[in-house]
Amino acid sequence: MAKAVAGMEGVTSALNPAAVERIGMSEPEWLRERRAHAWDVYERTPMPTIRLEEWRYTNLKKKLDLNSLQLSDAEAMSDDASTWPERLRAAMDEDREASGHIVIIDGHVVHADVDKQLATQGVILESLQEAITNHEELVREHLATDAVPAEEGKFAALNAALWSDGIFLYVPKGVQLELPVRVTRWLSEAGTAYFSRVLIVAEAQSQVSYVDEVLSDDFESQTYTSTAVELIAREGARVQYVAVQRLGRGAFYQSMQRTLAQRDSKLDTLNVALGASVTRVDLNARLLGPGANSDMLGLYFGDDDQHFDFNTSQDHVAEHTSSDLLYKGALDGASRAAFRGIIRVLPGAQGTDAYQTNRNLLLSPESRADSLPNLEIEADDVKCSHGATVGQLDDEAKFYLMSRGLSLIQAERLVVLGFLGEVLAKLPLGGVVDKVTRVIEQKLAQHG
Amino acid sequence: MSDASILKIEGLEAKVADEDLPILTGVDLEIGKGEIHAIMGPNGSGKSTLAKVLAGHPGYEVTSGSVLFQGSNLLELEADERSQAGIFLAFQYPVEIPGVSIANFLRTAVQAHQADGEELDIFEFSDILTERMELLEMDVTFAERHVNDGFSGGEKKRNEILQMAMLKPKLAVMDETDSGLDIDALKVVASGVNTLTEEDPEMSILLITHYQRLLDHIEPDRVHVMVDGRIVRSGGPEVAHQLEAEGYRGWSEADSIADGV
Repeated sequence: MAKAVAGMEGVTSALNPAAVERIGMSEPEWLRERRAHAWDVYERTPMPTIRLEEWRYTNLKKKLDLNSLQLSDAEAMSDDASTWPERLRAAMDEDREASGHIVIIDGHVVHADVDKQLATQGVILESLQEAITNHEELVREHLATDAVPAEEGKFAALNAALWSDGIFLYVPKGVQLELPVRVTRWLSEAGTAYFSRVLIVAEAQSQVSYVDEVLSDDFESQTYTSTAVELIAREGARVQYVAVQRLGRGAFYQSMQRTLAQRDSKLDTLNVALGASVTRVDLNARLLGPGANSDMLGLYFGDDDQHFDFNTSQDHVAEHTSSDLLYKGALDGASRAAFRGIIRVLPGAQGTDAYQTNRNLLLSPESRADSLPNLEIEADDVKCSHGATVGQLDDEAKFYLMSRGLSLIQAERLVVLGFLGEVLAKLPLGGVVDKVTRVIEQKLAQHG
Repeated sequence: MSDASILKIEGLEAKVADEDLPILTGVDLEIGKGEIHAIMGPNGSGKSTLAKVLAGHPGYEVTSGSVLFQGSNLLELEADERSQAGIFLAFQYPVEIPGVSIANFLRTAVQAHQADGEELDIFEFSDILTERMELLEMDVTFAERHVNDGFSGGEKKRNEILQMAMLKPKLAVMDETDSGLDIDALKVVASGVNTLTEEDPEMSILLITHYQRLLDHIEPDRVHVMVDGRIVRSGGPEVAHQLEAEGYRGWSEADSIADGV
């Protein structure tokens, strides 16, 4: 079989069954089968259109051309940090304190390290490809099974068929990581499709926070990155996941995230979207055991013609679970954001507390925000609320601030950071707050 | 215009930017350094419009007349430049800025008033802020609250005076600062303003008010009556007392006495 694939060189870089086989070439049988099955699902599933409720705000016909994309066939860069792009190193320098690092350049994990003490306690932080060899059973049990299986939809299937690498983080029972795990990604090849996965398993009573930052320069042609994120918190575990998206223009960033929170666990997520031309995040939080809690934060700041689409769901499966979602964004230029969120309380999930808020601040008359919060409640003893607002930085507020001597740029900066500060203030990771604040300030300064 | 003049308004006419209806129909007013002037008048007479025009509100358009501030043309400056030049407007309806603490807001504003390239001394700023808040009988925790967000009417007005105390303007225009205040809050505000004018005898104040009671606590040098977009009478403090007794009835343009204008 290796021979057959080798003979197809030259066409294997497109998104096709040959690519699926090539990627899985040296993988175990079960994984090759999963990839082949996923490709089947992908081919059988029609491309979502705006007639589908979940895609009504993002017209894929206009926004994404999968046929134009190639898979990367670049060799992995070396582990020597001095050869890495400068912006990647700068981003890493800002947050040295960590329990471990992973660096991914153009889809390849080029570096992984984890605190020795933690490693001896059984913490695993490595590339998913390595984990298949080193920890096959753990990966086999969780990868694309419970959390983001191929059956989830067209893009979940495409990812499950074509993922090239990713991250596996395993925290054994009772082990608590004081410092976050930091992942930094860099993309450089225009016209390329990148597929990766994140799989985090936190065993009972363990604790971990994970920060995943992706950066690039602007791309001359559309570049697509798809990540499937599977987060599993066992009984009493505490997991915090942070994604910071700082891609250049031309990028289509897609992230499919599912969190599975077992009894008494706390599984929180934060999505920060600042870059890329198109951002699409699907977040599904499942509260599976009594006492489970998930807080979901989102923050976005758009300008020019940036497009953001957040599709979230909070599924309360077990009784006495709670979730709280707060997504806030500011939009400048002709940027646009859509938020579609649903709280689902399943039959039997009595004592559910669920909240959902989306707030938008429009900084220019050309910017636009659509917000569609929703409830679907099949239990009777629940506390749920949802709300959405779209506000404007109005002339009175501008005049008030300027009458105190602030320039228009200073006034906007103060108002935007104040508006988004409600989300930033809830972040316990100091480094992320500083970094995000700086990026927002840079964007505001460019548009003053 | 004398050297002692801080503000000189001549024949000022203004309207709402997108409408035709004139609101100011020819205001003449001169304020000397260190003087306290009051403008009184019925609702809709144009008092608040005059305040906003002086501060550079973009919603109003000046159609005629001139305004000199310290001898220079004020009307060509943007709102932020007017503030930096030394004009302060205490708002009738202060704006809520959610998520922005008073300390952060004031730090940014005071920094904007520094000379070019001069960094604000943050410790000195904190000391002054604490001292100013004591003057206005504000709790220190007030500085961490978000600007006007969820404030009572009295707290909003006190916050305006705090900003004035921190920015130390040459001319403060106070637009109905007394409205919505109970008598105790009024006394605190008035005593704050009086302390500021004692500290800086050259600071001038233009009080805009409906009521005599503020003028019992901040004594004006001159009182002007504004009706239909212009000043129809000017005089000493006795004008305010007369208005209090007689009301604004009869102050139409026809029988106005342009005393002292």
